[in-house]
Amino acid sequence: VYQVFESVAKKYDVMNDSMTLGIHRVWKDILIHKMNPFPGMLLLDVAGGTGDIAFRFLNYVRSARERQLQRRLKHHQNLSWQEISESYQEEKCKSLGDSQVVVCDINKEMLKVGKQKAQHLGYSEGLSWVLGNAEELPFDDDKFDVYTIAFGIRNVTRIDLALEEAYRVLKPGGRFLCLEFSHVSNPLLSRLYDLYSFQVIPVLGEVIAGDWKSYQYLVESIRRFPPQEELKAMIEDAGFLKVDFQNLNSGIVAIHSGFKL
Amino acid sequence: VIRCQLSPPQRPLQASAVLRRASDEQKKEPLASSSQQQFDSHPTDHQPEQEPQGPRPSYTGQGGQESEDYESEEQLQHRILTAALEFVPEHGWTAEAIAEGAKTLGLSVAAAGMFHSDGSELILHFVSQCNTKLSDLLEQEQKLVQLGEAEKKPTDQFLRDAVEARLRMLIPYIEKWPQALSILLLPHNIPSSLNLLTSMIDDIWHYAGDQSTDFNWYTRRAVLTGIYNTTELVMMQDSSPDFEDTWRFLENRVADAMNMGNTANQVQSTGEAVVQGLMGAAVTIRNLAGLNQRR
Repeated sequence: VYQVFESVAKKYDVMNDSMTLGIHRVWKDILIHKMNPFPGMLLLDVAGGTGDIAFRFLNYVRSARERQLQRRLKHHQNLSWQEISESYQEEKCKSLGDSQVVVCDINKEMLKVGKQKAQHLGYSEGLSWVLGNAEELPFDDDKFDVYTIAFGIRNVTRIDLALEEAYRVLKPGGRFLCLEFSHVSNPLLSRLYDLYSFQVIPVLGEVIAGDWKSYQYLVESIRRFPPQEELKAMIEDAGFLKVDFQNLNSGIVAIHSGFKL
Repeated sequence: VIRCQLSPPQRPLQASAVLRRASDEQKKEPLASSSQQQFDSHPTDHQPEQEPQGPRPSYTGQGGQESEDYESEEQLQHRILTAALEFVPEHGWTAEAIAEGAKTLGLSVAAAGMFHSDGSELILHFVSQCNTKLSDLLEQEQKLVQLGEAEKKPTDQFLRDAVEARLRMLIPYIEKWPQALSILLLPHNIPSSLNLLTSMIDDIWHYAGDQSTDFNWYTRRAVLTGIYNTTELVMMQDSSPDFEDTWRFLENRVADAMNMGNTANQVQSTGEAVVQGLMGAAVTIRNLAGLNQRR
């Protein structure tokens, strides 16, 4: 797995776009929207290499924070001069409101690409990049509000260990979100999807990234991955409650969500 | 119906101890009777919903996979929502209020993700809580009457007091209540909100002593629903001290409703009288015109 992603890192984003025809951006947006982050939340994005989820999270939090500040200002309209001057002396309004993202990935190359992207796009605060294995996270217990793993869990050898680690590092009340390719239930769509996966994707891999084998591996790992209900059962086994999944594009991708209660 | 009213102290949070054993809770708190004449909807009233006893509609509606021993997810959700009510005046009926509520219970703000992001569950929870309080109140009053300690009120007074008591529970949240009303009217909320409304009205009539089994049942409930809704709307934009205008409006509407019965009869008898008068006039004219003569 390590070698696959080592070779794939630089072209990762380009390949994502071409393979999914750009829909992966929508999927990730839906994931963040479902998460509905508030300013002050701590996110752990595992296998988040190039940082897509992290950037979206920061954007969302920034706009939520702006709205919050605007509301506070409106509320201030009725205050006396004394109170207004006092509020100015309070600490400067932080544009992110203390939210933080920790991007954790097993692969140094992916992290490097991610850091470069962050610099390029201008994300300076609220981001940390950590090298780590999803089956054995280098974090303390009860630390994070949300744990996400987008298109990463199928690459984990022992999914149950990763789920247990997720449970461990989440705060009580914390949320586990998993975005992953899954089982298509519609038979017609399933046939088309199979056709597309096995014929088109490796070819794209060869043409764009010069790597047939990695994308062959990718498509096969998608097929081997447990379907929605099974993954839901595994998440419940790790101790999460209120586990649910949402199919996107009738099963091509599914978002699983669970809470540590 | 004796209910456990709990006010849990600040509890330090262990890793998975958020879901407490429900049996522990019951051992701890002695049964306290709910406050009787106070319409005080103190927001931190914790009322874990044990499986529904009595005619209380549960809008989340399922048994779920709770085992008997541990607090179920549903009960935890109720606790979070109850805690969130405190933050409603500041944040409105939104996911932020729920997040703040979760924070006070020691949970991460991400727990607000358990609920719909538009805050509907919070509002439904609040309405359901108010209705339950109202039922309890009416039952207490009924007990007093049965014990002979209080006078039985005439129907219009009873209805007025019940509606007033229920509307007074809205007072702490009155600023954000229009927002709540509009959310309750969203299509996906209408079944639940209608359900809560009709059961509340049903409760009020039940305690008012209504035992009709004919069409009256429907008309009475429809009338009271109309009165309640219009009074609620009046209350939204009422700025008089202690909502006097609203209560006066309520009085008038209830009086109208009471009179409707009489008015219906009056209209009918007037109608009959008019018809008879016309008939008499017609006969007179025929007499005068000589058409009535029999040969």
